[in-house]
Amino acid sequence: MSIEEQYRKRAMELLSGGAVKMVIGYGRGSNAERRRPVFISSPEEVNRLVLDEACIANLSGYLVNEGLLSDEKRVAVFLRPEGIRAINILAAESQLDAEQIVIFGFDVSGNEVKALKGIHVEEFEDVIGAIKEHAPEMGNEELLEKIEQMNPQERFAFWKEEFAKCIKCYACRQACPMCYCRRCIVDSNQPQWVNTSSHSLGNFEWNIVRAFHLSGRCVECGNCDRACPVNIPLRLINHRMAQEVLKSFDHFAGMSKTQEPVLASFKKDDSETFIL
Amino acid sequence: MAKIGVFICHCGENVGAKVDCTKLAAALGDHPGVAVSVEYKYFCSDPGQESVKKAIRDNNLTGVVVAACSPRMHEATFRKACAEAGLNPYLCEIANIREQCSWVHTDKDLATEKAMDITRSMVEKVKRNNKLQPIEVPVTRRALVIGGGIAGIQAALDIANAGQDVVLVEREPSLGGHMAQLSETFPTLDCSQCIMTPRMVEAAQHPKIRLLTYSEIESVDGYIGNFTVRVRMKSRYVDIDKCTGCGDCITKCPAKKISSEFDCSLGKRTAIYTPFAQSVPNIPVIDKANCIYFKNGKCKICAKTCQCDAINFDMPDTFVDLEVGAIVVATGFQVQNNSLYGEYGYGKYPDVINGLQFERLASASGPTAGKIMRPSDGAEPQTVVFIQCAGSRDPSKGVRYCSKICCMYTAKHAMLYAHKVHDGKTHIFYMDIRAAGKGYDEFSRRAIEEDEAAYIRGRVSKVWQENGKLMVRGVDTLLGKPVEIAADMVVLATAIVAQPDAKEFAKTIGIGYDEYGFYNEAHLKLRPVESSTAGVFLAGACQSPKDIPDSVAQASATASKVLALFSKDKLEREPVVATNNEVTCAGCWGCVLACPYNAIEKKDIVDRSGRVIKRVASINPGLCQGCGTCVTFCRSNSIDLAGFTEKQIFAEVMGL
Repeated sequence: MSIEEQYRKRAMELLSGGAVKMVIGYGRGSNAERRRPVFISSPEEVNRLVLDEACIANLSGYLVNEGLLSDEKRVAVFLRPEGIRAINILAAESQLDAEQIVIFGFDVSGNEVKALKGIHVEEFEDVIGAIKEHAPEMGNEELLEKIEQMNPQERFAFWKEEFAKCIKCYACRQACPMCYCRRCIVDSNQPQWVNTSSHSLGNFEWNIVRAFHLSGRCVECGNCDRACPVNIPLRLINHRMAQEVLKSFDHFAGMSKTQEPVLASFKKDDSETFIL
Repeated sequence: MAKIGVFICHCGENVGAKVDCTKLAAALGDHPGVAVSVEYKYFCSDPGQESVKKAIRDNNLTGVVVAACSPRMHEATFRKACAEAGLNPYLCEIANIREQCSWVHTDKDLATEKAMDITRSMVEKVKRNNKLQPIEVPVTRRALVIGGGIAGIQAALDIANAGQDVVLVEREPSLGGHMAQLSETFPTLDCSQCIMTPRMVEAAQHPKIRLLTYSEIESVDGYIGNFTVRVRMKSRYVDIDKCTGCGDCITKCPAKKISSEFDCSLGKRTAIYTPFAQSVPNIPVIDKANCIYFKNGKCKICAKTCQCDAINFDMPDTFVDLEVGAIVVATGFQVQNNSLYGEYGYGKYPDVINGLQFERLASASGPTAGKIMRPSDGAEPQTVVFIQCAGSRDPSKGVRYCSKICCMYTAKHAMLYAHKVHDGKTHIFYMDIRAAGKGYDEFSRRAIEEDEAAYIRGRVSKVWQENGKLMVRGVDTLLGKPVEIAADMVVLATAIVAQPDAKEFAKTIGIGYDEYGFYNEAHLKLRPVESSTAGVFLAGACQSPKDIPDSVAQASATASKVLALFSKDKLEREPVVATNNEVTCAGCWGCVLACPYNAIEKKDIVDRSGRVIKRVASINPGLCQGCGTCVTFCRSNSIDLAGFTEKQIFAEVMGL
């Protein structure tokens, strides 16, 4: 039985037994290469579920939709390892109760989809540990390498050019599972810290704020990259911040559901390179 | 409609020399919303403050900006003046045109331009300031003194003698600190133990002092007037209530060859021991690392010897939780490790010792009972060379600062040696003789003139052994000649450095420290005994190298600060506290974790039926210290700080 069939069967069992009230998974998209999220609440619909190498979006963000989990019922969700890390962070930040989440874990290598063993987030510690040791390829390593080689002026010029394309649509924010705030700082206008219009200053402000708000939290799922209508390689910024946080504080985002947020926690042996 | 008064202070020449105050006053006078803009030589003076008050009353001012020195200096002064004139004190702000402008610039025109920007920016903030009311908090009238050396003991006694409760915590088995190790003290040559031990006993027996020896501070939480402190009482393995201090266990202990810390490795001690004969309390501890029973599981001779059944090998560490209103930090110093001067042979030649070791040699309670004997063979040294600044004032190898006490104790050592070894000869290599203090210069002159200490101005380059002598090669810079002396013993005047765990400990109690690990005072000149954390005071050499008179004076000063704090029933706290917007709060609770004062808790918002509809962060204004950490952490921008609201800060920035 293919993994798709196995997971359909499991979804059917969970829904008909009432163990979960909903399964969030992937369904057919607008063309053969695209998948779109589907929200299945009845056993009859499980055949809409698709699982193949085109299932790349991180679906964890849908779990924090207001009210979805407030009845304390369980929800199942299809997740790649990055998505599972996101569940840990959302649990650590009190946005959901990990007990309510039933995981349909899978990973894709090449064209092959393989199932990840486990149902609850705690069971995937080894999978996450393995990513910490060997980061999977993002697909734009060449560009990353190019940026790393630049001096600060060149790098600034590079990002200036990239950000010039930004139209402030905030699709990156909407796609990001970590952007769950009901009011984003950019929507706060008393005072208006971040310029609303999409010019150089405002675009820099937004993207720098975003980088800081995601440092130590980004799981590098790539939702922002894919959502960006003007193709800014947003993930690279977060990737770099993740590396900094890992290097300075040995913090790998989403290791466990009790992990303390790196920017809010303080350890006596944290390095003090800038405070006397 | 805003009516702001701008008061520009010349601060004598401090501001006036680099900022054109007349031009500044004129420029601010034209700024929208400014009703009064005047300059004066010293606004902090009595007539200066009166003129501010008069201007408030005459013009019905709605806000005040004093362009002067740092707010750390006189914010409180001017806010008080405003309150006296009927203006809410939080409608007064300081524009710092001294530390942040005149002191750091040389071009008067540019500095004036900058001063205009700084002052305008503050005017824009004050326009948006709100009236705030002070918060009252209770005071716990009990002081914690950390460190049982002379400074800690003095502070504890002064506070206790004024009738307030004190808890005195010492991490060693006995009170006494470094002073108990000294032989005689300059400039009077009275015996250190003779003046120290009665103080130790007085502290231990004082009804208002609770003494916790062999104990360390585990954690400190809370804030001025309301600290909670956890103390770890390390296990002595001797029951302090049963032990009578007879010392039989010490006599019988078979592990006798352990190097004594108190005697600076010049003497030996047993595994169950008191650091010195006059220890307070006179209760031994078992040194677990060297105890035969703890190492091999057999022995227990001390337990068999003890007639009071006081020895308990299973005794655990215990914890004491304390509520205190003020903390005096008197954690002292250590001497620098001299082995960093390989060329002086410390650690290589047994007869090269440091100043503290010489104190033990000269002390009647020391390993040689006060007889000067060199460590290698116990012979009486006939020629002794002292090397001053062995670590101090040496940026290349040691420390940049002067350790302050070495000139005096070296003169004292030469004197003590001369009194004990009548035909002995002393040579002292020095850079300068720094003998500032009452009776100090007379003392060092006495060493030279009466006790024939031969002072040689110059540095030593090398010490080596030759034919049973320590050869000291240096230079006499006054004669311009190299010098070589064959000595029997060499004494290094080692630098005083911070305790090895000083920085770590500063983080535990939440105070600042300098690059060397000495604790920072709130103001070097005007608030030298207060730390940067309210309610935490500094005494003795933990702040900087100090001699005994200075340490005692500073300790008494901390006591007066503590007593002033305890003189009130309630403290008025600044109403600069954070508030959370529960509508926009996303409930991530990063702020709960980030808050250093545990002032933020989780709060359920429930509907009429009692169902939890949202969980948010809630800030307790009684605990909040207004540090702003949560404000910077909050991603949804839901937390704001009274007195420094986002609107005010934004206006301030845009005013530039």
